[in-house]
Amino acid sequence: MTGRARARSRGRPPGQEAAISSVGAASVHQAVPVQPPGRHQPRVHPSLSEEPSGHGCQSVPQGQSERRPEGLQISVGFQELSLADRGRRRRDFSDLGVNTRQAMEHVQESKTGTSGVMIKLTTNYFRLTSRPQWALYQYHVSYNPEMEARRLRSALLFQHEELIGKTHAFDGSVLFLPKKLVNKVTEVFSRTRNGEDVKITITLTNDLPPSSPTCLQFYNIIFRRLLKMLNLQQIGRNYYNPNDPISIPNHRLMVWPGFTSSILQYEESIMLCVDVNHKVLRSETVLDFMYSLYYQVEEQRFRDTCAKELIGLIVLTKYNNKTYRVDDIDWDANPQCTFRKSDGSEITYIDYYKRQYNQEITDLNQPVLVSQCRRKGGNMMPGPVVLIPELCFLTGLTEKMRNDFNMMKDLAFHTRLPPEQRQREIGRLVEYIRKDDNVQKELRDWGLSFDSHLLSFTGRVVQGEKILQSGNAFDYNPQFGDWSRETRAAPLICPKPLDNWLLIYTRRNYDTANTLLQNLFKVTPAMGIKMNKATMIEVDDRTEAYLRVLQQSITSDTNIVVCVLSSSRKDKYDAIKKYLCTDCPVPSQCVIARTLSKPQTVMAIATKIALQMNCKMGGELWSVEIPLKQVMVVGIDCYHDTLSGKQSIAGFVSSLNQTMTRWFSRCVVQSRGQELVDGLKACLQTALRDWFKWNKYLPSRIIVYRDGVGDGQLYTLVNYEVPQFLDCLKSVGKDYNPRLTVIVVKKRVNTRFFAESKGALKNPPPGTVVDVEVTRPEWYDFYIVSQAVRNGCVAPTHYNVIYDTSKLKPDHIQRLTYKLCHMYYNWSKYLILFMEMERCSSVYLKASSVAHPDQHTVGSCLRCAFYLSVQ
Amino acid sequence: MDKNFKEEKFTGFTKFTPPLYRQRYQFVKDLVGKYEPKKVADLGCADCTLLCMLKFCSCIEVLAGVDICGSVMKEKMHRLSPLPVDYLQPRERSLTVTLHHGSVAHKDPCMLGFDLVTCLELIEHLEESELKKFPEVVFGFMAPSRVVISTPNSEFNPLLPGVKLFRNPDHKFEWTQLQFQSWALETARCYGYSVEFTGVGHPPRGMENVGFCTQIGVFVKRNPQTSVSTQSEKPTEAVYKTVFKAVYPCLKDEKYLQNAVVGEVIFTAQIIKQSLLKRLMSEHGEYNGDPAERKSKFQPSVSCFSEDLGKLAVEKSMESSVSGNVVYIPLATIFSFPRVNQLCGTFEKLSKLVAGQVTLSNDGSAVMLNTEHEDR
Repeated sequence: MTGRARARSRGRPPGQEAAISSVGAASVHQAVPVQPPGRHQPRVHPSLSEEPSGHGCQSVPQGQSERRPEGLQISVGFQELSLADRGRRRRDFSDLGVNTRQAMEHVQESKTGTSGVMIKLTTNYFRLTSRPQWALYQYHVSYNPEMEARRLRSALLFQHEELIGKTHAFDGSVLFLPKKLVNKVTEVFSRTRNGEDVKITITLTNDLPPSSPTCLQFYNIIFRRLLKMLNLQQIGRNYYNPNDPISIPNHRLMVWPGFTSSILQYEESIMLCVDVNHKVLRSETVLDFMYSLYYQVEEQRFRDTCAKELIGLIVLTKYNNKTYRVDDIDWDANPQCTFRKSDGSEITYIDYYKRQYNQEITDLNQPVLVSQCRRKGGNMMPGPVVLIPELCFLTGLTEKMRNDFNMMKDLAFHTRLPPEQRQREIGRLVEYIRKDDNVQKELRDWGLSFDSHLLSFTGRVVQGEKILQSGNAFDYNPQFGDWSRETRAAPLICPKPLDNWLLIYTRRNYDTANTLLQNLFKVTPAMGIKMNKATMIEVDDRTEAYLRVLQQSITSDTNIVVCVLSSSRKDKYDAIKKYLCTDCPVPSQCVIARTLSKPQTVMAIATKIALQMNCKMGGELWSVEIPLKQVMVVGIDCYHDTLSGKQSIAGFVSSLNQTMTRWFSRCVVQSRGQELVDGLKACLQTALRDWFKWNKYLPSRIIVYRDGVGDGQLYTLVNYEVPQFLDCLKSVGKDYNPRLTVIVVKKRVNTRFFAESKGALKNPPPGTVVDVEVTRPEWYDFYIVSQAVRNGCVAPTHYNVIYDTSKLKPDHIQRLTYKLCHMYYNWSKYLILFMEMERCSSVYLKASSVAHPDQHTVGSCLRCAFYLSVQ
Repeated sequence: MDKNFKEEKFTGFTKFTPPLYRQRYQFVKDLVGKYEPKKVADLGCADCTLLCMLKFCSCIEVLAGVDICGSVMKEKMHRLSPLPVDYLQPRERSLTVTLHHGSVAHKDPCMLGFDLVTCLELIEHLEESELKKFPEVVFGFMAPSRVVISTPNSEFNPLLPGVKLFRNPDHKFEWTQLQFQSWALETARCYGYSVEFTGVGHPPRGMENVGFCTQIGVFVKRNPQTSVSTQSEKPTEAVYKTVFKAVYPCLKDEKYLQNAVVGEVIFTAQIIKQSLLKRLMSEHGEYNGDPAERKSKFQPSVSCFSEDLGKLAVEKSMESSVSGNVVYIPLATIFSFPRVNQLCGTFEKLSKLVAGQVTLSNDGSAVMLNTEHEDR
């Protein structure tokens, strides 16, 4: 349950980006990012094109001289080609310009590993090729006398088309040309319609090679222009094809197939990365949704439930092409309230929407939604934006929908594409591009073209790991990424006895509870778990009944509480977990009765439950061989809490022993005005103390895996968080100088790999490592495929080593990372991220979603985390 | 052409609120609201701002824009494309938006049959030769039921700071009220129209004789029948170049209608199912919450469908039945819900649209829903 919720609530730490302002990085990323919902992104400022009239000079932002009709400014994207290099440091979602590799001497020559077996891979990248000696020429255009309006400036300039040529991009002062003018400075004269002579000076300011950052921006703008020419619909950052929607009426969902794309400089060449993307749209308004919720929940819980379901979701409005994130619901306001328009007059929402968009608001008592506008400048007024539920459509999935197994299954059927099909869909975009004459012409004019085939190259599959369990080493078939069969008969490293435990169930689930018990008796002896019969307690299927039983039955000797739930109703689960996390900390295991309903799988499930229970009680399951000595592995993940506003929570875990089976864990809640990293520093200090307690020495190497880093936040991490870690290590002791490695982990990547096998495309096997071609030259980065999936395409995880004084070879870092992927106990599978991260996730999710009412979650987190740590 | 930006140049000085260009647009919008034309064309549509406002008017089925400058039109034409929401909630009536690159001095058959043609701040940009042809093209050839023409009133110019000769360097002329009115009256007489004069941008108090800042003539065809014959007499070749065309999704299209109906049917069925199960549960005494106790803080307003829907669902749940894990909800019951009824019109249509899309009972008379899904 939390697993699914997790994907949604995965957020990003806030606030840190404020230190860096970015201007004029072209209008590539203007619309609100849609996924993930919790994301809190630095905005790229809209550039010149957003402002109605032209600039006389660069870098002086001009006030808005024109008030355009409100709301009619549809997200500009690349409708207008606008490029503006305002001279300040450019920052965008691709973390351009953060060059971390140059500081790491041992990877200057090569950052590639060598171990493993070669594997032929293709990936969803296409090479962008340009004519030989291609360059983009950037000119500055000035007018004398000064001309104000951009349109007039364009008109005057293009009177000289014979000089400039038909292909150009001009935003009022910056002109890009695919060809070089004869002179560095060209002066021409134009005459306005009323006979005024204007001198135009065109000065070459830059001669841009194909790989220059400005060019990359330029490619992306051109590419977005092409997508628009193909009549794809922009929502957020991606483009979708509205003509062939997949309708899932059972859930009032509409799924639009689409593409996410970006052009960047990769290891060898500039490439276009295209991935299939699906936009889930809902054919109901927010108001419809509120009503159906109103009929489902009790009155007193209605507002809370509404907030829980809606806040953080992205809505589309009926009247423009903007997307907004719901940040709050204002129950005290309604459409009859007034607001002050830009011209100072007061108007009600009803009248405003009627006048402006011919939209009738029928429900006059509905509350209003509030969205905090995150971008500055342009036409958006700063401050909160008020939205009318009736005029907003939901996009994406609510928490409840994610918990709806049937719905997710229906959805996955349409959106999880197996490798072959995914490749076909990706190929379709390239096909569109190749077949459309206008698009081809545009590309030709700029001297650009795309390869028609997916990029192919060779990757490596590193050797499979042996699973160590009680002195035995097990090989398993990495193809399946599951060793539960191989290790079933072996005792765990450290089994915890079940002397005194509770099994709670409803009358209806009496049989299920018994089945579970019997099967646990069957599987636990082999694991080495000593188990007594559970105290069986029957309850009414009501939350209060569960809680009462818990209150009455838990004693100080209770090892663990197992609840067989009849449904995945979140409220019941939450209440139980909250009670057992905060009020009366006892390890607990909830099982939904349905999962035990199939006789043929019940034993396997009981095995997994036993493993989870053992893990929660502080036992140790298995390990893999870790050859590095005296190394402490740290995992950090961040989560931005959408419910409590600006709060961020970080989970912190660190290993305490050589086999990495014992862990220290902490949860950090960032309160207002406090930086998350301060809390992390404290964690690191405590973790080192704990390590010392266990080992009587300090680790000589520390390897930090840092997750939860949003696109575009790398700069902050490198320049702020890493130095803080170093500071922290210094403070431990004068002579203490461990080697530090910081690796940024990213699971949400658009990169996909396909393995070619007998002419067909398959998912690459777990252990596939890629450190060539699709990695970035300025980083020490690599991809690892660490799990096996049955449906759809496996997503590789991107690892970016941003700081490294360990001097470990790339091979070793890669192998170690892969080893750690095996240490996730919840399911004996590799997972997308590894154990530390996942443990963090479960800690903070419990902290944030379950224990939400009391804001002092640190304490409760510590308690709820207690079964994860070993103190 | 440049009418928007040129206005902005001096709205900073004059005190027109809302800005004059917005007042002109609003004038047209009000006119559209009043007469509900189906086909509207904007000549000299520039960056399509007016068209963009008009596309929200539900009465309009055809919207066309013409401009001599293709690049200005193209700059923002994509905002005339359907929005994602237009696909989610298709319009009841069709809407096609087309942009043509061409001159108002030329005749193109695509401009025939319009109910309203607007020419805001257009004529003053025309060269003398073009202005001469203009009445014949618009009134003689296109011959729409209504024409709106606006142009600057030169008598107002002394009140505008910074305006020397004309308000915009591209203006070929700016007329006094008398000049405009005599041109308009002559044109109207010539082509069988009546004309009324008005304007936007009131003059300051005490200077009323100056007239509106923008003068507007609204032409109405005297005899709506006459032009039909003339059109067929002179078929012309297409001279305009279509630069943009967008066909909006609409419920007249079976594909969208089916989607909408299926969605609505399932939604309705689920609501009925919920109230049915709730009723059954309370009858069995298992249900703890007392719905009667609900005090409405979030009071759904009277006019809103959902309140009725809730009541209706409770009533109608009587007609449905549960058998094992399956709830049967008769299609006829679902058809009695207003939104479904409105979408389909007839029961036969409903049956036809949901066939194969929704799980139905063997005889096709009831929607089957599984109760299992609910509580898991």
